Amino acid sequence: MLKYVSRRVGVGLLQLLALTIAVFFIIRLLPADPVARLVGMNASPEAYAQAEQQLGLHRPLLTQLGVYLGFDPEIAPGLIQASLGVSWVTGEPVLKEIGTFLPVTLQLVTLAFVFAFVLSVPIGMAGALNPGGGADKGVFVYSLFAGSQPEFWWGLLLIYLCFFQWGIAPAPLGLLSPLTSAPEPITGFLLVDAVLRGRFDVLHEALSHLVLPVICLSFVVSGPIIKMIRQNMMRALQSDFILYGRSIGLPKKRIGRYALRAAMAPSMTIIGILYGFMLSGAVLIESVFSLNGIGQYAIRSVLNFDYPAIQGVVLVIAAVSLVIYLLLDLIQAAIDPRIVY
Amino acid sequence: MNEFADTTFAAPKRRFNWLFAIGVTIVAGVTLLALIGPYIGPYDPTLTTPRVSVPPPSLSEIPGLLFGSFSNTLEHPPHWMGTDSSGYDVFSRVIAAPRTDLTIALAANFVSLGIGAVLGLLAGYFRNWGTELLMRVSDVLQSFPVFISAMVLVALAGRSMGNIVLALALVYTPIYIRLTRAEVLQKKVAGYVEAARAMGTPEIAIAFRHVLPNSMTPALIQSSVTIGFAILLTSGLSFVGAGVRPPTPEWGLSISTGANQIILGEWWPSVFPGIAISITVFGFAVLGNALEERYE
Repeated sequence: MLKYVSRRVGVGLLQLLALTIAVFFIIRLLPADPVARLVGMNASPEAYAQAEQQLGLHRPLLTQLGVYLGFDPEIAPGLIQASLGVSWVTGEPVLKEIGTFLPVTLQLVTLAFVFAFVLSVPIGMAGALNPGGGADKGVFVYSLFAGSQPEFWWGLLLIYLCFFQWGIAPAPLGLLSPLTSAPEPITGFLLVDAVLRGRFDVLHEALSHLVLPVICLSFVVSGPIIKMIRQNMMRALQSDFILYGRSIGLPKKRIGRYALRAAMAPSMTIIGILYGFMLSGAVLIESVFSLNGIGQYAIRSVLNFDYPAIQGVVLVIAAVSLVIYLLLDLIQAAIDPRIVY
Repeated sequence: MNEFADTTFAAPKRRFNWLFAIGVTIVAGVTLLALIGPYIGPYDPTLTTPRVSVPPPSLSEIPGLLFGSFSNTLEHPPHWMGTDSSGYDVFSRVIAAPRTDLTIALAANFVSLGIGAVLGLLAGYFRNWGTELLMRVSDVLQSFPVFISAMVLVALAGRSMGNIVLALALVYTPIYIRLTRAEVLQKKVAGYVEAARAMGTPEIAIAFRHVLPNSMTPALIQSSVTIGFAILLTSGLSFVGAGVRPPTPEWGLSISTGANQIILGEWWPSVFPGIAISITVFGFAVLGNALEERYE
């Protein structure tokens, strides 16, 4: 088990290193001019050269890569020194900036997944228990439909209905209104901090702003989750140990429970993949609801050609996804006794 | 019916499949619009009209407008879906957009399918350090966060249709490499491969002439799903300002134009293109699923 985990972590680190190098070269080979973006198109050649010098872009590519990875700590700290560099636009360390934006996204996506999962298990099971029946067909069409929806559009639609028409939702302008003072951060996760600081007014306000985005995201991810649970449940119900259970006359409920457990484990994989996908896909819903998550940070960095920030975002999201895959694989092994490492 | 009837793997009965019919209809409809959509709208989709923020006609006005537009008694053709805040006719743009969205999605899909199938074939048929390296590179590509990577590529390379196609192709290629390789690994031990080898056919010819055509099914089925997702991705990119440039008719761009007004109650510029995306991607998902059930 420990061996398995350390091997996975090792492979993951190598993969992240390769990803960092790939991203580093890809964005520098594309025909974008970050210096011109920073100093303006009409800047004098001297100003241009000075800015280029400041950003370190006058050095050869390989030296730049070396600096980024942390082999030249006297020029600037790099990855080895646990630094993602400094944003070219704000001058703040990228790691610190990501640290304030990422929790918003993790919070949103995690809530959406918990919500989607709790809804999907009974729905997927209902479909699988009577394959080909009316309920099953309905469940199946729903899962295909939900899985192919533009969630940002549903966000706008819900804003129109719930905010403009019915007035039951707050304006889609961030987690807290500008008048509310946020609690002093402890973990960085606003919901957790609000509870720890005893600020239940903040908790209530943040939750009420999260209702619509969480509904949108969980609607979209519920499609593939239901599809997966339904399929795995059907397969589990057809397996030998269920046949055996039936033949010795176990009660239906108990058989259902065994089958569910066997169906849950493979469903974890799809949840891991979707979670990674949604970390970067949440960009759209974040910008619809102005939530200031990592996605909006990414948009800002991309439109400003802020290379260190772009590299940081891609690296951090890939790293978080890898950690989630690993955790879910371990959970899978914990629920399914047939999996041995 | 005996108690274990559901424990056998019975082949599904071949009968009329409503879902499949719906999928085919939607996909055919969108394809038709991609061909003729830009020409049949009442207005030029890339030109503004002097009437801004006109709401769509109410249901009771529709018969009168229909009669009017057939008998040519109206001052100007009706705005069936209203106009947006710049004066673009929403309906003309919605039906012209498949030309953009579907072209990007199809091109991205077939570029990645072509590259992925060839690389997957090589990686599955010839196992050596070179193809091993290829698979590791493909793993790294697959660990890129899809949406953000596409956004970065398009924004830095320039917001043109060609660049969107290349960015999407890059993120979709690893899927096809994987699918084709897995199938090739199964097919390369088939009898016809042995037979071809016994006849002295060169390995590379066996791979491309015999193994590849027999290993394409999973990748072709995946295409329908990929095309649908590519449409979602294309519209999402425009929505955040990293997609095609205005005034190109594109569904995501139209939704984004209307997004600022929706909070003020002007719903039509965003809602109609969204319905179009919703139906289209659903159509491709349904078609992909039906193909999967039939051929796997």
